[in-house]
Formats: sequence, C-alpha cells, structure tokens
Amino acid sequence: MPDRLITLCYRKIIDATATRPWDKLVWGDSYTEFRLQAQNFNPENRYRSFGEMLHYVPGAERLHFLVSGAVTGYVQQLSERMPDIFNNLGRQFLRFNRFQFELINSDLQDKSKHQVAVNFVSTTLRWHDTVGQLLLVSDAAPAAAPGGEVLTHLVQLQAFLSIYSIQTPETDAPANAG
Amino acid sequence: MERKHFLKSLLLGAASTPVLLSACGKETVSPTASTSGTSGTTGTTGSSSGSGSCAVAPTETEGPFPTKTPSSYVRTDITDGKTGYALTISITVNNSNANCAALAGALVDIWHCDAEGNYSEYGGSGMQATNYQSVHFLRGRQVTDASGKVTFRSIFPGWYSGRATHIHVHVYSATGTSLKVTQIAFPEGSGTAVAAVNGYAKGLSGYTANAQDNVFSDGVSLELATVTGSTTAGFQLAWALSVPA
Repeated sequence: MPDRLITLCYRKIIDATATRPWDKLVWGDSYTEFRLQAQNFNPENRYRSFGEMLHYVPGAERLHFLVSGAVTGYVQQLSERMPDIFNNLGRQFLRFNRFQFELINSDLQDKSKHQVAVNFVSTTLRWHDTVGQLLLVSDAAPAAAPGGEVLTHLVQLQAFLSIYSIQTPETDAPANAG
Repeated sequence: MERKHFLKSLLLGAASTPVLLSACGKETVSPTASTSGTSGTTGTTGSSSGSGSCAVAPTETEGPFPTKTPSSYVRTDITDGKTGYALTISITVNNSNANCAALAGALVDIWHCDAEGNYSEYGGSGMQATNYQSVHFLRGRQVTDASGKVTFRSIFPGWYSGRATHIHVHVYSATGTSLKVTQIAFPEGSGTAVAAVNGYAKGLSGYTANAQDNVFSDGVSLELATVTGSTTAGFQLAWALSVPA
C-alpha cells in the first residue's frame, strides 16, 4: 500500500474543571463572549442554555463561530504547536494552522455548565505504517528521495485524536512502480 | 521502572495542581490527562494494563506562557489584509435616557463585508476548520471614550445582491447588555462616496438603493452617515446614534 497523506484532528475539550492557564483563559473568555453574543439569538431572554437556543432559534449555530473571536488570540499564542499531543518520545511534534472552535454546552446563568472544544487540525503528515497502537508518520513535505532517510514520529492513537482527512497521492504510484 | 515513574508523575500532577498552577510551571504543557475526566484522559489510562498501549508522558521544556488577551474583536484596525479604499469609521454613542449626553464605556461592535461583498461572519460558520489568520476579517469592537466616540480603520465596504452598502453595529453597555442592534447607511447618488467607489470590481449594475433596501426603505434619516474623502486619500465616515442606557 502506498503511503497516505493524512491530517490529524485533536479535539481539546475545556470545561469548568480546567486548571492550566491557557485552558482557563479560553474557558473564561469564551463564556464572557458567549454571554455577549447570545443576546443576538435570545429575544426577550427566553432561553438560558446554548442547547435551547440551538434548538429553537434559527441561525443560533453561528454562535460557534461568533464566540470563536474571543479565542483566536489564544490560539495564535500557541505558535502553531498543537498542545497536549506528544510523540512516543514525549515531545510535542504536531503543527497546526487550522482550527475550529466549538461550543458544546453553555448556560447564561450558570458558568459551570460552560463547556467548549478547540479542534486543531495538523499540517499534512505521511502515514507510513501502524505499529500496534502507534502510527508511524513523518512530515509530508518534502517527500523522501528514493533510498533517502526520513525522520519519523510514532504517535499513540488515543481518545480525542483522530484522522481528520486522508488522501492517497497519485504521484507516489509511478515512483513506487519504478 | 519507567512505568512506575510515569504513574508517579500522574499522581503528582493530580495532588499538587494548585501549586503547579500558581507557579505556572510544567502543568502548562502536560497532557490533558491530568486535568479532567472528559478531556482526553483515556489516552493514558491504559498505563495499568500493560506498557504496550500507554502514551509516553511529556518531557519537554515548559511553555507556552499564555497571557490574558482581549477578544480578538477588540482592535482599531479591522482590515486583516483585506484590500480596498481606506475608510475611517467614527461612531459617537449618546444616551437617550440622559438628554443625549455622551455615553462612555459602551462596547461598540461593527462588521461589514469586503470589497467583493463577502463577510467573515457567514463563511466560517460551518463545521470546517479554518486558518486562524483569516477569520473574523472586517469585524471589530471598541469601548467608547469620554466623549462617547470610537474609531475604526477599515476599507470601504463592497455590496452584494439585495442590499445597499451598509455597516452592522451592535452597541452593548459596559456590563455587556445589548442596547442596540442597527446598521449604518451610506449617502448615494452623484458626488457621493458610493458613486466614487462605484461598487469596486463588479460596478453598480443591479445595486440596491437605500429606498429599495428592505432594511433602510422605512427611512434612513437616523441611519445615514456622513461620508467624505476620495478614492486616493481615503474616506471618512462619521455617524452618531442614541441608545437608552
């Protein structure tokens, strides 16, 4: 099987139990922003939870994106390094430049119910093999010269980490055949 | 041996969280495993059932060190690399409950479309991940000064089918309560900025005038801004509104 090009998605969930500085800032500021923006979808303050707005108010799904503005600055502070995911040597190694913020639950009157996720999508990786629970991957670019050495990472398949996209490069076929 | 080490580090993380937190130390880069039951714990719980399926604990230089950042909306320059004729937007907020005195400390949130008529507000609402550098363009928020004024630097909005040129405005009280959602209308006809910009690349064929616009057609007298300037020197927009605060 030819090597496949993949991106990984890490869904980082942040809720009231967050203890680390970055997580707490994202949690607190996204709640403040939610309370501001929710007023656009909450005529006469009829609803108090995000779930109710999503169910009853047309367009309320835009709140995911609208609230993300409070989080973008913190995402930029990560300098494109994906948090929390380590290779088998215990080092952070994934880079990202795409993300998607997600409101999971929130409540205008009860901050403790506020729960969000930041979905980080990695840059493209070349998936060479799978060793037990570990994916053997390398940076997709540059492609290895025939017979050349490529530095690789082993990464554990774990909860909240998934393969986000996959492509089987056609350009690899002639190289493999030759 | 290594496994013992790992388990110990987990235990340590759970027991001494407050200390680590105040020191802003290693805790910032440790995996989610040490925080909550819902955020990725499963990756390391396998540690008791054999070394084959457990993730390696991180061993890395500490960091990053996050700093409190205002919402990315809070800024003066909202162009985000979007090109077009420069537009300075000055908005003055008055309090209709206090003899129209200037309202200081109010949050003014504005957003408008780019030269082609596209919004950041609608493009990014799907479930697709987007590049963090390109989201929320042409949207910004400022707090009014003692004279009730905020100023933004942007570009002259384009237009899209069915609407006259406009800028969305949402005013909140200092505590975040919504006070007014409205839109700014632009003067039109010969000699105006709208005529000078001429709809950018797409021209003005099919443009919706204020009188036909379904938001402004009930009269734009209170929504109409003063717009001066030129395509070479840039445009200045000034507008005042009163809100009950």
